[in-house]
Amino acid sequence: MRTSWAALTIALGLVLAGCASTSTTNSQLQTDPDDPLEGWNRQVFDMNQRFDEAIMKPTAEAYIAVVPEPARKGVHNFLTNLNSPVVFANDLLQGEVGLAGETVGRFGLNTTIGLGGLVDVATPAGIPGHSSDFGQTLGVWGVGEDPYLVLPLLGPSNPRDLAGYVADQAMSPLNYVGIRDYTYWSIGAGAVNIVDERAQNMDTLNQLEQTSLDPYASMRSLYRQYRRSHIRHGKSSVKDLPSM
Amino acid sequence: MTRLQFSPFSRLRAAMAAIIVAIVAFAASEPALASTPAEQFVSQNVQRGLTILNNHSIPEAQRRAEFRDFLTGLTDIRRIALFTLGAARRTASPAEIDAFVNSFRDYAVAVYESRLNQYSGQFLRVSGSSEVSPGDTVVQTLLVDPSGRSNGQEPIEVDFRVVQDNGHFVVIDVSIAGVWLGQEEREQFSSFLQQNNNNVEALTQHLQQLALQVRAGGGQPQQQR
Repeated sequence: MRTSWAALTIALGLVLAGCASTSTTNSQLQTDPDDPLEGWNRQVFDMNQRFDEAIMKPTAEAYIAVVPEPARKGVHNFLTNLNSPVVFANDLLQGEVGLAGETVGRFGLNTTIGLGGLVDVATPAGIPGHSSDFGQTLGVWGVGEDPYLVLPLLGPSNPRDLAGYVADQAMSPLNYVGIRDYTYWSIGAGAVNIVDERAQNMDTLNQLEQTSLDPYASMRSLYRQYRRSHIRHGKSSVKDLPSM
Repeated sequence: MTRLQFSPFSRLRAAMAAIIVAIVAFAASEPALASTPAEQFVSQNVQRGLTILNNHSIPEAQRRAEFRDFLTGLTDIRRIALFTLGAARRTASPAEIDAFVNSFRDYAVAVYESRLNQYSGQFLRVSGSSEVSPGDTVVQTLLVDPSGRSNGQEPIEVDFRVVQDNGHFVVIDVSIAGVWLGQEEREQFSSFLQQNNNNVEALTQHLQQLALQVRAGGGQPQQQR
């Protein structure tokens, strides 16, 4: 079972996408020229919000309540370390040899001295982590971002980043250890990964919900701007700033 | 996109969880390395902001009021508000614009105040600046979190867009990990206006309601459609 978690999320996504058709959002709505599927996207966004409210948020809240912070940090470090091969591959594909070296250094230090990745010893040693994914790699190669998409369960995306997500899943070693005996491990790791991710973003999402006039438009703007910045590797770009 | 809809923001976590961190940490910028006038403007507010933040000898309400004054003096709220209004500013009446600006100011202050208690010692290190146009500069800084809550990630980039207004610098936008907050609000407001027949008065009322709910600790009001 190579891609057990991916298959599960896609299957759930299709089921929930069906549920989205009952939403009252205007399917013809388009408030942004680069979001031609806005009507559909808003329906999926609403459905994702309901799913989050019903399942993900309570689960993450329980995780935070039950698991002490040091243990949660250890889990987060472990999962981040497991993703290192994907980060390394994308560093290389982007021509970022220095970053690739840092990824190898972090992986080596954290896997050995860091007790299999539970402890992040690399950051205090002067090698902070970074993220790299294949959607970003495609962006570095010049692939454009439109149109904006909201995917069932997976959230904000676009065709480029969706293709990148599939490629990253294919690159992940997690999806190659799931040979029968490891199926439960693979699913379990994926589930913990998602709960950890939701718990990590608890405050962010609560505040987005509380202070946004239009959470959909807010998330769309945040996602696009952040991905563009990520593709520039965080370097500031002033040439595209609007006149104020 | 990586895993879930919130995954892309893992690096935004520390900062996006608190826009105030950027503003507050702005107050706690390290004065070293500032070389251009714009960078010096960022750095020179260090003591003033730090004094307010660390002054726990005064009542909390007074500390909040002092920080509110600091914040509104630091930024050109009217200019930001007009930018976020987008094309609607050209068709709105002067009275509608004034009401919107007042409402926007109240909303912004409410949002920042709701996050004031999240400041826990983060500070900014000025790393450089880039000129957008004469008198319009982006000062780049790095958010340093000494608490170690960054989960092993690199420091977050926080940029301040500052302009000279009558010889004085003012902040007109803030970017956290590449996300310009003014642009994000402009897109939200544009979306709202398009769904409400470009009714600026409705936007103003909605912002007022949202500010009240933020102060009460609640969520967003029901959007008109």
